[in-house]
Amino acid sequence: MEHILDVSMLEPCEPLELTLSATRDLSVGDYLKVVHRREPHPLFPLLEKTGFSWLCRPGGEAGFEIFIWHRGDTAVEDDIAKIP
Amino acid sequence: MLSTAHLSLEQAPPISIPFRFFLTAPLFGIVSGLLLIWAGEAAMVSRWSPLVLSLTHLVTLGFLTMVMCGAMMQMLPVLAGSPVPGIGPVGAVSHLALSLGTGALAYAFIQGSAGWVKLALLLLGIGLGVFAIAAGLALARVKLSSPTVTGMRWSLASLVITVALGMLLSMGFFGIVALNNLPSYTDLHLGWGLLGWMGLLLIGVSYQVVPMFQITPEYPRIMRDHLTGSLFFGLAGWFLLEIGVIRGYWSSLVPGCWMLLVTAGFPLFAGTTLHIQRLRKRQVSDVTLIFWRVGLIGILFGYLVWLIGRALPEAATAPWYPLLLGTLLLFGGAFPLVNGMLYKIVPFLSWFHLQNRQLALGAFHVKLPHMKGFIGDREARLQFYLYLAALFLALAAVFRPALFTRPAGAFLVLTSLMLGYNLLRAMMRYRNTKVLLNQTGSH
Repeated sequence: MEHILDVSMLEPCEPLELTLSATRDLSVGDYLKVVHRREPHPLFPLLEKTGFSWLCRPGGEAGFEIFIWHRGDTAVEDDIAKIP
Repeated sequence: MLSTAHLSLEQAPPISIPFRFFLTAPLFGIVSGLLLIWAGEAAMVSRWSPLVLSLTHLVTLGFLTMVMCGAMMQMLPVLAGSPVPGIGPVGAVSHLALSLGTGALAYAFIQGSAGWVKLALLLLGIGLGVFAIAAGLALARVKLSSPTVTGMRWSLASLVITVALGMLLSMGFFGIVALNNLPSYTDLHLGWGLLGWMGLLLIGVSYQVVPMFQITPEYPRIMRDHLTGSLFFGLAGWFLLEIGVIRGYWSSLVPGCWMLLVTAGFPLFAGTTLHIQRLRKRQVSDVTLIFWRVGLIGILFGYLVWLIGRALPEAATAPWYPLLLGTLLLFGGAFPLVNGMLYKIVPFLSWFHLQNRQLALGAFHVKLPHMKGFIGDREARLQFYLYLAALFLALAAVFRPALFTRPAGAFLVLTSLMLGYNLLRAMMRYRNTKVLLNQTGSH
């Protein structure tokens, strides 16, 4: 199941705070799609430390989309790979 | 694109390094205000009065350069991925020497003492020299340059030129060396310090922080790529043309016309920033934004006054003219831009360090303050209004010094006290949360 979080209109560090907070409620089998206007480099090591995988790609109206899921959740990883 | 890939606790300097610079700056604001109260109208007689020279350096070195050095040490690893080598000793030595050197220089001007000026030059030479070498090394090691890094490089080169000219001038002013044409060298020192060191750093850093924190569109590509470099070479050309005037090769009209072209870059930057701020995606006002608006409008007014001085030479030779121009550009332009920036940098750093600490300890049940929780909006706005009162009173004091100088000094003391209080409270909040994290994490 996809959960969308749009942080494109927020100033630092609200996007990071909200994203980390949203990952805490993320169930295995689900993924979080974050809509961002920048590539949030500081977020990535924090996700890795807390057991998540991520994929960041340019796209969408805001500029970037970041997909976040539980590390090792291969079913979700396959779903994300199919997203155009 | 903000390159924060290397933003980590391993690379970022200990938070105490930038914080000690930021906390010292308001102290110099308080001293400047007290000097205005003590001296009264004597402080506004002419740009050459020892009190004005003392006051100018308390603000430019003690407040503005103090914050800029601290911020640059923090920003180099964050924005450029290149930490300042030996950050611990470099931070400690440059902070101490800059603080003591600024105090000694301000005292030397008031006392007219060559002994104190020699001490001040030694301390400032050490403080700014150590900073410039360390920051220069970090800038030389940057692998992936950006318009912000370019702005920092030109700015740092301008600082070196400013300090060299300042040392020469101080020695000439106190008769340590024979120096003719003091006014021309003073203009060069002032131009490189204000337009080069401060102007180019503010422009370069704005390319990152304005779109990032104020949710505006990016600055135009052509401006990001070429403005700081063009301004630096414009200043270098002006320097050579002024030397030609000193040597008697041509009249002062030549560098004057040249600077008409060069200085236009600053209102262009200020106007563009105001324009992109109007286009910002989330129309929420905050204290940094209002500080910035005042600063940008201050730059535009300063440029207008400078143009009037070029068009009407009789106005430019009036004693009030350089005081008005200096007040507008320094206290109405650079000061609020730096002050406003502090309200973003300090909470962001505090939050970021705590976030990393929390992750390292796994203490997720400790609730970290939000970025906006470090400095209260009401208190920050109160400091802004105190600043605004100080600015208008200082501008009025240029024309009615007997009436307005002391009230301007009083409000400068008040706004600096409030700024110090706000920063100190943010740092206490940081410290208390860190202690809580450490206690919980160790269980």
